[in-house]
Amino acid sequence: MATMNISMDNSVVEKDKTKRKIISIAIYTFLVILALIYLLPLLWVLMTSLKDDAILMISPWAFPEHLMFENYSYAWKMGYLGRATLNSFIVCSITLLVSMVVGSMAAFAIAKLRWKFSKLMLTYFMIGMMIPIHCVLIPLFIQFSSWKLTNSLVGLIIPYVTFSLPITIYIMVGFFESIPGELFEASVIDGCSVPRMFVSVALPMAKTGFMVTGLMSFVSNWNELLLAMVFISKETVKTLPVSLTKFVGPYHTNYCQMFAAIVIAIIPTIIVYCIFANQIVEGLTAGAVKG
Amino acid sequence: MDKLLRKKSNIILFLAPAFILFTAVLFIPICKAIFYSLCNYKTNYPIEFVGFDNYVKLFTLDTTMKTALKNSLFFMIFSCVTQLFFGLVLAALLTNIKAGRNVFKNIYYLPCVLSSAALGLLWMFVFTPKLGINKMMESFGWIDDCANGPQWLFNTDGFIILPIIVISFVALWQYVGQSMMLYMAQISGISSDIYEAAAIDGCTKTQAFFRITLPLIKPMVATAMSLNAIGSLKFFDLVYNMIPEGFLGNRAHVLATHLYDQAFKFNKLGYGCAIGVVLLIMCLIVTFLINKFVKVESYE
Repeated sequence: MATMNISMDNSVVEKDKTKRKIISIAIYTFLVILALIYLLPLLWVLMTSLKDDAILMISPWAFPEHLMFENYSYAWKMGYLGRATLNSFIVCSITLLVSMVVGSMAAFAIAKLRWKFSKLMLTYFMIGMMIPIHCVLIPLFIQFSSWKLTNSLVGLIIPYVTFSLPITIYIMVGFFESIPGELFEASVIDGCSVPRMFVSVALPMAKTGFMVTGLMSFVSNWNELLLAMVFISKETVKTLPVSLTKFVGPYHTNYCQMFAAIVIAIIPTIIVYCIFANQIVEGLTAGAVKG
Repeated sequence: MDKLLRKKSNIILFLAPAFILFTAVLFIPICKAIFYSLCNYKTNYPIEFVGFDNYVKLFTLDTTMKTALKNSLFFMIFSCVTQLFFGLVLAALLTNIKAGRNVFKNIYYLPCVLSSAALGLLWMFVFTPKLGINKMMESFGWIDDCANGPQWLFNTDGFIILPIIVISFVALWQYVGQSMMLYMAQISGISSDIYEAAAIDGCTKTQAFFRITLPLIKPMVATAMSLNAIGSLKFFDLVYNMIPEGFLGNRAHVLATHLYDQAFKFNKLGYGCAIGVVLLIMCLIVTFLINKFVKVESYE
């Protein structure tokens, strides 16, 4: 390469440089415009949520003249969004805890305990990733209404935990398999039982795995609409996405309150995403790159 | 050590909760759904076994099902093609720039983690005839009157109606980040030695992309495409939230909304199950086909 550069005419090098500069400017312009297409609608929602409805109708793209925080208090109280946020938090955090405990136990049994059908069991759980929730929706609904579990948060938590299991198990198996066997041998020599080994050796070693799976289960359950819509009809147990559907339709008149509701619904995930963006990305890619 | 790890009681203790939950909430309901789909089952009526009656009705008499199938297949093909293209372009650009890669990556990925229900409301407003995008076009002087501009969400002409196309673009906006992320993960796994060797042989960057990068990320193309295909067949949130109920008649149904309407609005549970089973079979076929035709060869 070095000899080539020396032999090259100075002007050619110069030309090459400007060409490269133009290309990189073009790429960055494209990327910035695209980033604006992604960010502007979200910023615009935030802006509009503080506007007066009458002004929105005249100039939907202008800045608000005075800030209307009433929109939020209206959406929070009259749209039952306060209650819905609380419900979503309860459902998502319990689901997260239970699915991590149950999922990591199963993953430990598959990755570290020795038995004939462990690979087969992993395949059985992996099938769950391919099955659309729609397919089991109706039988589950029939079953759960006969058990009086519809219109209760428990009725949401059970299917959510189950649907979080495949991905949790898949990722945790990966993490447990990477723990060297010597660690477990040492703990056995010290007189450790298997459950104890799981709690004090395996779990602390797989902290990153918990982070990744927990975030993913939180995000996907926070956004889940269909199952929640079918299972819940009582206002006081609705989750956020279900409460939002109230605002659908051309006859819903107050758009600004709708935007306040949207902001309430997406702010928690945006905050979680800003803090843990890298882990979420890692988890989603790891989950998709399955065997 | 070995004995301890082989102990049956331990295995059962660790596996039982997940296994029972998975079987009870996923596996048994699927079997039940297949059974119900062969029955005439309506709320408050006794179950009556009718064989393949539901499926025959579904494919011969039900015009809404035809629309739903057409729209769902359109979503699937559109998302597979566009996400493959834009996902690859974005991944190629982002892996080649030096500064700000993570910032752009995180911005493009952001909508994937947000609620489709909320984003659907946002885009519904943007495409409302008198407001949103038409108002903007009016202020630029592209159309005379915002009320007479394109009826983005209410136009029902054509084979694939305009609202469906609009929604598929919104879906592209929301989910292209995921494809991009998968391709980026795969591209960054390619060893830089290969590129260096190619550069010494006089290979330009464009050539390197087509001759090295593309063949090496082929397995990921299969994965990302099947994820897209299954995801767009399952599509529900955006359609439900962007098109007001009953506003376009049956023209804007997809499989999931059709299932929801039949089962929970008209209480035809058995019929709904049949749609669910069709959806499941379509997902399996599509995954199988993609994995068969996008042949996975290992070069490394």
